[in-house]
Amino acid sequence: MEQDGRRVFIMTCIGGVAAVTAGAVAYPVISYLAPRQGKDNSAAVIIPEKDVPPDGAKFFQYHGKAAVVVRKKDGSVTALSAVCTHLGCIVQWEAQKGAFVCPCHGGQFSTEGKVLGGPPPKPLELLKVTVANGVITVG
Amino acid sequence: MTLVRKLYDWVEVRLGISQVIEKEMTGYLLPRTINNWYSLGSVLLFAFSLQVVSGILLLIYYVPDADKAFKSVSVIMNDIPFGWLIRLCHAVGSNLMVATLFLHMFSVLFMGSYKKPRELQWVSGFTLLNLVMGISLTGYLLPWSQLSFWATTVATNSVGAIPVVGEYLVEFVRGGKLVGPPTLGRFFAVHVAVLPLVIAGLIGAHLFFLKRTGISAPPTSNDLPGPTCQGSVYHYEKHQGGIPFFPNFFLHDMTSISIYFACLLGVVFFSPYLFFTPDSFVPANAFQTPAHIKPEWYFLANYQILKIFPSEIIGLTVQGAGMTFIALLPFVDRGDGRYPLKRPLFMVCALGGIALFIALSIWGHLS
Ligand code: HEM
Ligand code: FES
Repeated sequence: MEQDGRRVFIMTCIGGVAAVTAGAVAYPVISYLAPRQGKDNSAAVIIPEKDVPPDGAKFFQYHGKAAVVVRKKDGSVTALSAVCTHLGCIVQWEAQKGAFVCPCHGGQFSTEGKVLGGPPPKPLELLKVTVANGVITVG
Repeated sequence: MTLVRKLYDWVEVRLGISQVIEKEMTGYLLPRTINNWYSLGSVLLFAFSLQVVSGILLLIYYVPDADKAFKSVSVIMNDIPFGWLIRLCHAVGSNLMVATLFLHMFSVLFMGSYKKPRELQWVSGFTLLNLVMGISLTGYLLPWSQLSFWATTVATNSVGAIPVVGEYLVEFVRGGKLVGPPTLGRFFAVHVAVLPLVIAGLIGAHLFFLKRTGISAPPTSNDLPGPTCQGSVYHYEKHQGGIPFFPNFFLHDMTSISIYFACLLGVVFFSPYLFFTPDSFVPANAFQTPAHIKPEWYFLANYQILKIFPSEIIGLTVQGAGMTFIALLPFVDRGDGRYPLKRPLFMVCALGGIALFIALSIWGHLS
């Protein structure tokens, strides 16, 4: 019985030391491997208005993901996520159609993000956008 | 617990693990007189594994491109969390590994364990020492600092002393007339792919030889006179009545590994730049040779020999002869005894040789 107690005690000590060692190795290695925080992601994106002519679109990174601003013929501007809601491909702007078309499975979206056809189950996410003094501010 | 037990039983039925443990661990007997010098092999296995793991981690952020290498190493040191730790473990580890290899070699030398039937152990071990020095030499270039660049220039230059083909060989090694971006590509491939594989394979052979001959018993003054290995038939040296490898000697191995690791971390934390010089912190510049460029400490003796002799080819020949002699030592020194104090001629040569090596290294360092 006493023998058993010693055995358990020693095994617990060895296990404890092993666990601490594993932690001391794992912590730096995981920190080293962890994805690095990029520049401040929460900032709004600013785009000069002249970059987006009527019927034109401009793609950019917003909060680490692909996004797009588009200007309709009437001059109004919308900003949307450019990530297709089907399987995550990046949609393309087709000026003649005045719509977004996904190259992967042919999903189609309006400038407001509404699904016009194809497999996507949900509209593209709309982003907050303001236009003032010749700059477009998204976010 | 029962789940673990079940899993164990499942594997056991298929692979007979307990038999392997019995044969290689608890039933693997070592001589009672075994000493701590015998644990250096395990230390070296640990050291090599550490180089492989830290090396693979470095590969994640290191960029092998002459325009970007130095920057990428600075990023590892300054920006990536614990990058300094990984890089210093790798750089300091390479130095400590070479030092441990020397110690291992000396212990084998003085205990006469290189003699029949262990000649192949010695030859493979000595080759390993040289390959590890080679992998260090090629790794040294990778940070693309002034030190990397010019140390590699000096080291590759000496190849040029070989008659007739020398000049072409230097160009071949460098991938151009001078050290430059093509050299980095070559050294990178050799450092991270070729040599690690060759070294790992040779370690396998080294251990295989050990398994087949059995481990030697340390020599004592009462060893019976006569050959250590008799006859011309294969014989495995078992040590009946010895101590089991596990747990007895395993604990010694662990102790030595802990001491090694403590030394490594001691340097990494308290003297991180022990093996660096100010030129390691300046990016390579092909148009500006820094003053006093020197190779790493374990190449200083070779470097000094090249400087002593009036012509490089004599220096190279002397080194080549010396290395060949050491490599073939078991075939030269075929006497019976292994106990060092009963081998005066051997002792004088061995101690003299080590003293000469140290003296040349110090001379190389100071000159
Ligand atoms: C016996 C094994 C090894 C030894 C002795 C060794 C030695 C060295 C040395 C001396 C350096 C230059 C140190 C510095 O100033 O940073 C270095 C750099 C490097 N090594 Fe190794 N190495 C070994 C194995 C490996 C392996 C297996 C890999 C990867 C698979 C690797 C990847 C690298 C990389 C990427 C660098 C450049 C980064 C840096 O300089 O910090 N090494 N190595
Ligand atoms: S991912 Fe866009 S339609 Fe399938």
